[in-house]
Amino acid sequence: MKFFERSQSKAKAKNASVANIACTEDTVKSALSNVIDPDLQRDIVSLGFITDIKIDGPKVEVTVELTTPACPVKDLLKKQCEEQIISIPGIKEALVHMSSRTRGAEVKPANIQKSLGGVKNIIAVASGKGGVGKSTTAVNLAFSLAQSGSKVGILDADVYGPSLIQMTKVGNPEETTNGMNVPPTIDNIKMISIAMFNDKSKATILRGPMAAQIIKQFLSQVYWGDLDYLIIDYPPGTGDIQLTISQLAPVTAAVIVTTPQEVALADVRKAISMFDTLKVPVLGVIETMSYFICDSCETKHNLYGNGGAEKISDQFGVPVLAHIPIEPKLAECSDKGTPIVNHEKNNSAAIAYQKAGGECARFLSMLHLKSSEALTQFSLQWR
Amino acid sequence: MDRYLGIKNIDQADSRTLKIVWTDDVESLFDVVELRRMCPCASCVDEWTKQRTINPSAIQDSVRPISVDSVGQYALQINYNDNHKTGIYTYKYLRELSLSAQNPNKQ
Repeated sequence: MKFFERSQSKAKAKNASVANIACTEDTVKSALSNVIDPDLQRDIVSLGFITDIKIDGPKVEVTVELTTPACPVKDLLKKQCEEQIISIPGIKEALVHMSSRTRGAEVKPANIQKSLGGVKNIIAVASGKGGVGKSTTAVNLAFSLAQSGSKVGILDADVYGPSLIQMTKVGNPEETTNGMNVPPTIDNIKMISIAMFNDKSKATILRGPMAAQIIKQFLSQVYWGDLDYLIIDYPPGTGDIQLTISQLAPVTAAVIVTTPQEVALADVRKAISMFDTLKVPVLGVIETMSYFICDSCETKHNLYGNGGAEKISDQFGVPVLAHIPIEPKLAECSDKGTPIVNHEKNNSAAIAYQKAGGECARFLSMLHLKSSEALTQFSLQWR
Repeated sequence: MDRYLGIKNIDQADSRTLKIVWTDDVESLFDVVELRRMCPCASCVDEWTKQRTINPSAIQDSVRPISVDSVGQYALQINYNDNHKTGIYTYKYLRELSLSAQNPNKQ
């Protein structure tokens, strides 16, 4: 803050001594270097966010490239940029364009390069227990990220209990490119599920290695194209499928879904320990069935206890991304195949999921800045 | 150990030494023949008793990797020229190995 004040007074001093001082790109950059990205804790110039500066007399036009279109502080940063530019002596008009390029690992192992090569972030949505709302969370996270302009895909990895088709009413893949399946889309979100290839009323009866084989095909023989985020809806638990995904695909990060009760938390600890072993960073916890607000009062009723996600957060040092309320509309929307974040935007559960989406994108950007040094993939030939 | 410790750089130091620089800037050197003898896979170590089921001396000093590949973000797999490639060495295991090599008394 002090730095900000000093540079402003400097600007004023300049203004007083030299009238109509020429405004250069450097002047604009030094003014914009007062804008700090609150998450990355660095100024937007040194982060390389400024991609274009045009100076036309008293008018300055800049393009700011953020790390995600789902950036929750986009408007705040835009406003601060405008203020900084206007504060430059002689400048009367500031035009700030906000754009984005999602950062992520571009290099993938050879066997999945064709299918996942254009995917920047792979997010695992996982839980210890079943029935905590993993699929609902995966679908609504995906739609919330897509609403902010990101390119998104969903891979339903729950081979034994797929729910993606039920929750979105997505069709079956019809085209192929170079022998690879092209995923069908709903609202531009690409989707793949085992249910697209099976008789929906029949159970998938498979031993572990066969289930893992199907997941391998989803990762290597589906043409995902360019995606900012691929959400993988994990089956519950810590078994064969989870291990296969983590060995085959460079999963960027995991989001853990839990309900507040201790019986669910016990298994969440195991899921986090699995991701720790696999060196997949845990982005945070989403608590579902968190509270209920009835029609006649405003009180939050914590039907399944209070502070479950916070317990996990304290124990493992991972943030709570959102609390999702118990909301009849949420169940109804999921059953009808109309995700709540798209169809009931003002519903409290939809708002909570939108927040979760923004938080995920935010923490992923922070993660990339921190872990940019580690190799995501290598193959060393011995000489 | 850092929860999300990764590999910053991996290379061959000499004909039988693998060099890893970790993201916390620690540098580890591994004798690839020793790594073969310490293979953690199910055909080298009993899954239940954790007893080593191969005789270390049965492994020739001439054994060398063909390639070293990443497995997810937590481990690497070494494909040896004696047709053995099932060993998945987690980063955690490799760090433990390199620590015990530095302090042989504490093993």
